[in-house]
Amino acid sequence: MSTITAMVRTIRETLYVPVFKRAWPIWAGVLAFAITNILMAAFARGLGVFPQMSMWGASILNAIGIDVEAPFTPYPVTPVHLDLHSMINFGIILGVLGSALIAREFKLRTDNWRGYAQGFLGGALMGIGTVMTPPCNIGGFGTAVMALSLSGFLMAVGLVPGAYLGAKLLQWQSNRAIDKIDFKDAPVQVDTGKYRSSRRPLLGWFVFLLIFVAVVIYSVYDRSNFAVLLLFGALFGIIFQRSRLCFAAGFRDIFAARDTKLLRWILVAEMVGMIGFSILKFNGFIASDHFVFPTGINSIAGGFIFGIGMVIAGGCGSGILWRSAEGYVRHWFAIIGGMLAAGSWVLLYGAKVGEGWLYGPKVFLPDVFGWPGALVVGSLILIVFYIILVLVEVKKKNG
Amino acid sequence: MGKPVSCKLEDGSYCIDLRGWMCPYPKYMLEPIFQKLPAGGGKVTLLVDCPSASTDVPEAARKQGYTVKEVSQVNDGEWQVVIEY
Repeated sequence: MSTITAMVRTIRETLYVPVFKRAWPIWAGVLAFAITNILMAAFARGLGVFPQMSMWGASILNAIGIDVEAPFTPYPVTPVHLDLHSMINFGIILGVLGSALIAREFKLRTDNWRGYAQGFLGGALMGIGTVMTPPCNIGGFGTAVMALSLSGFLMAVGLVPGAYLGAKLLQWQSNRAIDKIDFKDAPVQVDTGKYRSSRRPLLGWFVFLLIFVAVVIYSVYDRSNFAVLLLFGALFGIIFQRSRLCFAAGFRDIFAARDTKLLRWILVAEMVGMIGFSILKFNGFIASDHFVFPTGINSIAGGFIFGIGMVIAGGCGSGILWRSAEGYVRHWFAIIGGMLAAGSWVLLYGAKVGEGWLYGPKVFLPDVFGWPGALVVGSLILIVFYIILVLVEVKKKNG
Repeated sequence: MGKPVSCKLEDGSYCIDLRGWMCPYPKYMLEPIFQKLPAGGGKVTLLVDCPSASTDVPEAARKQGYTVKEVSQVNDGEWQVVIEY
């Protein structure tokens, strides 16, 4: 009996606690992200979450009598439970909810109307950015760079100043809020709170059980690919939640706080992902134009608008999804703003994403430089970006 | 985004309730908070409810040259960070 108790304790201390209770180091998070993205691409597709949300937005508009097509051609209006791509988003939401409950990090975080309005506006800006770029930060930058699409690199050019502007607004709000408080005449308070036990971790395991039930149902009804994408989404959710991997934060703090650690790790993930995606594409396991998007001024301008939006909303496309599952009500408004803005794109612009005057051609780097050349160019851009980030950080330390 | 609430625990020991302020607000608020605290040094306890703040607030405080005395979870989704200034 004592052997079993000792084994259970060992599993608890060396697996359960580090994975589900303690925050993961960021390097573990980015590597898990890159590897999971490669595996999901090998199975079905790379990670991106906003085109699905745009489809949800168009569905809502249709339901209230506004006739509009979904902006992304591969994502036509479909009931969400029958939409393969939406499984990733639902998986992320459920994975984060379970993981946050187990770690006791879930809390219903309400805000005032200003917070909700800011969330909605940030979401709407991201919605516009996502159809212009296209698509969102993780899909349009993260996965597109891995997929050697020139658009991904150009999106970063717009994301950096956009995120900086957004951060300046948040810093101004922070200073203004603290300016109003006073410590000298503050009321006396003896206790700041006591740690109480909670049953929420059990609830977290119940959420994981729900994911399992959904997986079984989809498999029984001959939709195993739905089940697998739901599981991949949940895995991404756990990775984001446990490692606090947030692409918006990575771009936000480059110049605003001169903190580049997170983005530098994201670039490492990009390099790993680029190798993985290249192997898949080179061998013909996935289409060579998978996650290759229209490239041009639209990539930079879309990235800029998306950059502002993701910072004032408090997360990029997947960021607002996974934070909404941690109980942030502001992010629920950001999702609504993003869905509706992107969902109404065909009405606003008159054509779908990738069509018309706004969008440049799709540029797949191996088509331009050949495979060796494309990998060298892609790596060099990442390395130069990394060095610039190190320089920004070092300059700060030297004052 | 409600008004942050300041309080005093005892002389030289202050607290500020930043619950409801998502990340990165608590991190960005550190510098103005230290400017506002009464001169002469002491302790400040920050009450935050953003999971990232339990790591990035202590990190930012250390970068600004302060000593972090304690980081502890006080409730579901709530943490307190005690910093010496």
